[in-house]
Amino acid sequence: MSPAKKLQTLKQEDFDRLLAWLDPDPGRAGILYERIRWRLIAILASRGCAIAEELADEIIDRVARRVVDIQPTYVGDKAIYFLGVMNNVHHEYLKRPIMPRLVEIVDDGNEKETTHLCLDKCLDQLSPHARQMIEQYYAENKRAKIDLRKRIAAEFGISLNTLRLRALRIREKLQTCIEQCLEA
Amino acid sequence: MDDDTRQFKESNSQEFSDDAIRRFLFGRLSAAEQATFEEYLFTGESLEARVRLAEFDLADDYALERLSAADRKAFEKKFLLSAERTRQLKVSTALRDRFASTATVAAPAPKVATASISERLRFLFGLNQRAWRLAFGVAILVVLVGMVWLWVKEPRIKGGIKAGIFNRRAPVPAPSAPRMAEHSNNASSIPEHRITPLAMPPHEPTASPVILSVELFTDAPRDHAQIPLIDLPKGEHDIVRLQLALKSNETGTFRAELLTINDQSVFIAQSLLSAGRDSGKVAFNVPAALLKTGDYRVSLSRADDGSKRSVASYYFRVR
Repeated sequence: MSPAKKLQTLKQEDFDRLLAWLDPDPGRAGILYERIRWRLIAILASRGCAIAEELADEIIDRVARRVVDIQPTYVGDKAIYFLGVMNNVHHEYLKRPIMPRLVEIVDDGNEKETTHLCLDKCLDQLSPHARQMIEQYYAENKRAKIDLRKRIAAEFGISLNTLRLRALRIREKLQTCIEQCLEA
Repeated sequence: MDDDTRQFKESNSQEFSDDAIRRFLFGRLSAAEQATFEEYLFTGESLEARVRLAEFDLADDYALERLSAADRKAFEKKFLLSAERTRQLKVSTALRDRFASTATVAAPAPKVATASISERLRFLFGLNQRAWRLAFGVAILVVLVGMVWLWVKEPRIKGGIKAGIFNRRAPVPAPSAPRMAEHSNNASSIPEHRITPLAMPPHEPTASPVILSVELFTDAPRDHAQIPLIDLPKGEHDIVRLQLALKSNETGTFRAELLTINDQSVFIAQSLLSAGRDSGKVAFNVPAALLKTGDYRVSLSRADDGSKRSVASYYFRVR
């Protein structure tokens, strides 16, 4: 049985204490929590951990339980503390026997259609300028990426890098909008 | 700091290259690079924002099949390890399905513009979304049903439409009113005009002709004061039936001639038979329209012995 399974379920009061430790303002604390969780997953995935999300939650659980002890004396960037706990959890993970990764492949036609519907809805919410940029940015085949993007950048009067950043930021907005639409 | 580290960091501001970010996402950084990258990722907001955008870029490249075989493997093994990244890939796939084409690089810009114009038209009416397509179809159906219902339930509408159609096709009516006045006294004139086929002119109802029966005797006084007086009926088809009493109940076939006081023949009735052996009368009908105001004589003669012998005369006055 892995050490993670021996841990008790994180209590609500511990979680609330963690958020309060991250930031007195609950809104900012929630944003900080999400950003820390995202970083942990990105790093653990980059290190090759197949269960990156599960490990990230375990790390957060451990920090939440230790807040009672460290809160009075801890000084410095609180995010760095998570790094230390992450390294420990990662070392423990590497000592575990390698389990086969179960990948469930589900071809959900309904979900795909819903995603397309939400995409249409979210595209409508874009400004005409942003909409045009996205349409041109994604209207390309595999071989023409650089040439087409150069042409698009020239049309908009911006550099290639600026085009990429703007398009990806629009892409990020679409992602958020679609996920909210799917949850609705 | 070795050359690798210098290349790893683009400048003294310790920015990382896009290539380094992508190698981080594939898990291909060296141990030293990995430690430095992780530290800056946890402490620097700018690197975090760039890595987030790079995740979308990588998901797009995978969905659009821009990755090499090795990179596709690394993507599935090292990148697609969280629910959030799986959702990113689904959106990238949806964008690919929506916009990606198989056009070549040489495709001219107007082709893209043409597609966007048609897309704009679709978006103008919201027909890109199924829900709006359904709503649009239902709206058209409701309008059609409403029109049919009005057509069936409101005969005035139907009649109005028909009147509009017929009015365009009706012949021009002929003029009529002045001739009728001129011939008002002519009993045989027929109205010649019709206003329209739909607006039928009013006409007098067809009634049975009035028959005025008058019994005349041969011994009736002829003087002006006691001659029988007849008030003619006014209808142009009315009848005056003259019943002539016979002397001594004569029988046979008779001929009657109606004459004015000036012996002008007005009407002749032939082959008159007495009504019966016991009735002692012969009768014949005269159109009332032939009679004018004045005195008249009926000359009765026999018609069965070839003699044309005068049997009797009968007198009356029309007033």
